[in-house]
Amino acid sequence: MNELLALPREWLAATGEIGRFMGTVVGDVWGGRVLHFFGETLRQAGILIVSSTLVVWALMFILGLVCGTEGAYFLEANGAPAYAGVFAAWCDLREIIPYAFGYMMAAKVGTGIVAELGAMRISDEIDALEVMGIDSMTFLCATRLLAAWIVLPFVYMAGMGGAFLASYIAVVQQVGFVSSGGYLLIFWEFQNPPDFLYSLIKAMVMATAIVLVGCYYGYNASGGPVGVGTATAKSMVLNLVLVHLIGMLGTQIFWGGNPNAPIGG
Amino acid sequence: MAVVKEEEFDWHTGQNRPAGVPDAIQFIDVHKSFGSNEVLRGLNMGLPEGKVSMIIGPSGTGKSVCIKHIVGLMYPDSGDVVVAGQSIPSLPDAELFELRKKFGVLFQDGALFGSLNLYDNVAFPLRQHTEKGEDEIAEIVNRRLGEVGLGDANEKMPNELSGGMRKRAGFARSLVLEPEIVLFDEPDSGLDPVRTALLCELIKEVHAENGGTYVVITHDIMSARRVAEYIAVLWRGRIVEAGPSQELFESENAFVRQFLSGESSGPLGME
Repeated sequence: MNELLALPREWLAATGEIGRFMGTVVGDVWGGRVLHFFGETLRQAGILIVSSTLVVWALMFILGLVCGTEGAYFLEANGAPAYAGVFAAWCDLREIIPYAFGYMMAAKVGTGIVAELGAMRISDEIDALEVMGIDSMTFLCATRLLAAWIVLPFVYMAGMGGAFLASYIAVVQQVGFVSSGGYLLIFWEFQNPPDFLYSLIKAMVMATAIVLVGCYYGYNASGGPVGVGTATAKSMVLNLVLVHLIGMLGTQIFWGGNPNAPIGG
Repeated sequence: MAVVKEEEFDWHTGQNRPAGVPDAIQFIDVHKSFGSNEVLRGLNMGLPEGKVSMIIGPSGTGKSVCIKHIVGLMYPDSGDVVVAGQSIPSLPDAELFELRKKFGVLFQDGALFGSLNLYDNVAFPLRQHTEKGEDEIAEIVNRRLGEVGLGDANEKMPNELSGGMRKRAGFARSLVLEPEIVLFDEPDSGLDPVRTALLCELIKEVHAENGGTYVVITHDIMSARRVAEYIAVLWRGRIVEAGPSQELFESENAFVRQFLSGESSGPLGME
């Protein structure tokens, strides 16, 4: 019996440990301690912009094309090609684009953080920070979280614009079953500014989870280069699970009770 | 806690010959285990103020663990570590971070920050902990890099440096805040004999110029002969003998004699 309970116990303990770590990092940002290292925060923000923005936008654009193409052919097959905008609007804003953002954040930013912090851990750089009298968790983790909070809303909003454009190109220019005006009328009818805000909240919760998971696995990496590789893989698995959990919960919370669909009376 | 077989400590007289000055660092009955492996097994050791002390002993005997206890990166399972009169395990985080500003630590591979060039690595502690302007920082950094012979390598990244250069750069970085205590974790590891000798000379010169308590971890006897003013011989998690280096080199203790002369016959075997 004890053996059967060992695994769940281990998971519970790990969850508690991750939760405590995340709480400490969020507390460092919330409590303003991270502002002692605002220069480092800006440096991390710069790195995020330069190294990750284009690839995140690229995936969002491509999945915007996918939403447009799927919507156009699906609704044409059901005799309602003029309503391709409904599919594109919901697919882009509510589901696929937040997921695309989460996937690329996990793959590019999350794993990058694990690899960087893990390498710092095994080469004693984190210990070096500590013995210089610098709180390494604030310096390395809280600065990355604040940088993500500063940069990523704009990255996401611009990326969503790119995805909207991609869907328009796919539906109107490529497939061409509906006119530009007809598509846009329906597309904008099925979304409003609160939807955009909800979508942004969904994406930012995903981004926060991804950065924190990356920091946890990187900061606590051990066992040399193999250990860093294992930590990177573990973080990717957990991040993908969290991205989908957050996506599902976000949809339930924001649109489960009120789908905001102007159909019927 | 693992069972202690007293015959393992037949050679451990624990004798601490006086160095004539008070201790800057004290280990008091320190025990530390990693799983079932008990590394420190009742360590009592004092390292004198203002001297270059060496903790020497066979590999895997707990030398690096000692350094981590001194700077509070590890805490003892039991016992106490006292540095500059303050009990490290009892210090709150804020006070520990403050105390750490008095330390300079040279890690085995230098532990330079891979994302910063050499200049920025050495300038890092000054930018974080002082209000000095960039001109003053540049003056200090260039002086320290010059002292370790890296005056013309400012712009190089750590991955462009050899192992010896990284150690020297780490040494320069550990000195910029003019620490009261400087700790060296195996500064000679991975270096050829000539560069080891040069690094030892450098440690002596810098200590003569700046003063302070230096603690060097090593298992290299030549380094001990060149640099040490005080030696503590550590084996199986306890001190075998400690004292001024000249007295230790003349010790009658069979283990100390074997280790300090590098002979194959004696109490220390391959086990």
